[in-house]
Amino acid sequence: MNISDIVKTLDGTLVAGGTSDRKVGAVVANDLMSDVLLDDSDDILLLTSLASDQAIRTANIVGAMAVVVHNAKPLPQTMCQVADTLGIPLISSPLTKYESCVRVHDFLAANG
Amino acid sequence: MTSLPQTVKILSGGESRSDDQIIAAHGRSSAGAGAALPGAEDSPLVIMELLQRLRVKDVMKSQNIISVVRTDSMKFAQNLMKRNHISGVPVVEGSRLFGIVSVNDIIKALEGDWIQDAVQQHMATNLVVLEEDMPLAFALKFFQNYTFGRFPVLNKERNLVGIVSQRDVTRAMLKELTREISKLEGRSPPAQDAPARSEGALPFYAMRQFAVVHNDLQSAGKAANEIKKMLKDAGVDPKIVRRVAVAAYELEINVCIHSLGGTVTFILDTERATVIAKDRGPGIKDVEWACQDGTSTANDWIRSMGFGAGMGLSNSKRVSDSFDIQSKVPSGTTVMCEFNLAKKEG
Repeated sequence: MNISDIVKTLDGTLVAGGTSDRKVGAVVANDLMSDVLLDDSDDILLLTSLASDQAIRTANIVGAMAVVVHNAKPLPQTMCQVADTLGIPLISSPLTKYESCVRVHDFLAANG
Repeated sequence: MTSLPQTVKILSGGESRSDDQIIAAHGRSSAGAGAALPGAEDSPLVIMELLQRLRVKDVMKSQNIISVVRTDSMKFAQNLMKRNHISGVPVVEGSRLFGIVSVNDIIKALEGDWIQDAVQQHMATNLVVLEEDMPLAFALKFFQNYTFGRFPVLNKERNLVGIVSQRDVTRAMLKELTREISKLEGRSPPAQDAPARSEGALPFYAMRQFAVVHNDLQSAGKAANEIKKMLKDAGVDPKIVRRVAVAAYELEINVCIHSLGGTVTFILDTERATVIAKDRGPGIKDVEWACQDGTSTANDWIRSMGFGAGMGLSNSKRVSDSFDIQSKVPSGTTVMCEFNLAKKEG
């Protein structure tokens, strides 16, 4: 599952950070950044409701491949700037976090 | 101690201000809510930290203040300044500040032939004063903005408690910088003839210090991201890079949300990476409790920003090869995490 698959599956929009060829290695759905930092997986897709710079900075620390913010939350300009600076693809989705989890799970189950 | 007379106006930053306005300005600075310290914008971080940590009361002269009383003559003030090589004297009775006589006032008195008059007739009463609890950065800014060689210092009760001159500031800064350098000497780079490095050791030494401002969550995390970049650029094993970055990030966030502010220092030498987070208080009452998973004193605002889950210290400890925490109420907490760069990651 790459950036383009994520955008399509989650009815999302890539708003900052550019795109990449990286594929999802693990999925973390969380709003508590300390919990995210606990995860040792590589190429994390971070599904969160946290629309702040810290979601992107945390993603960068753990080497996440992309961040999805849910419920079409307005994204602060600084968040997009940090995503551009650090090169972390930032996707906005109108779905709830739960719905995103279901769709990502189904996609990975069907496509690997 | 007595209070400042009503007739003395207090000016700050070129504007006329009431006593209350001065207190408000000081309150904002001490809270440090994201505002850059005046005078410190272009300074190296170690100096910025010193300017923030040191207060005016730490550097001012508080004993044997040379002063005159209102009924002394301008001539007496002139002689006093000449004898003591100073450019101004406060007019003080008890600890009540009435005004200041400067060299300019003396020159005017000589030109106008009123050198025998009492100082109360010609002293300056529109005074620029500092408060004893202001960060030193404010004193520096005042010296930049005004031509005065010294400023009276008042306490919260508006009593005169000292005088601060440019020389006092320079002396205190040199003393503190010497102390900081002495601390770092124990971690200085290896000499040319140092013993051969172990296999896998990296041929460099680097140190960076980052200031962390209380409650400035907008900026928190910048230090950790910089540290990660430094390690990555140095070619350190990506798994170690991630562990160091996680510890640096957690400690930086902790200083930001739980302390009055402080620094994150990163030291990279040939065999290890070290992250030191040091804050200025209030300290942790029960360190053992604070290091357990899920224990937190964070408020709802911090939690709404994605932090305060009570995992910061335990996460830092989990990823470090060596973890040490020292805390004292109310002076502050220092946490040190070390990472062995030669360690093979599984």
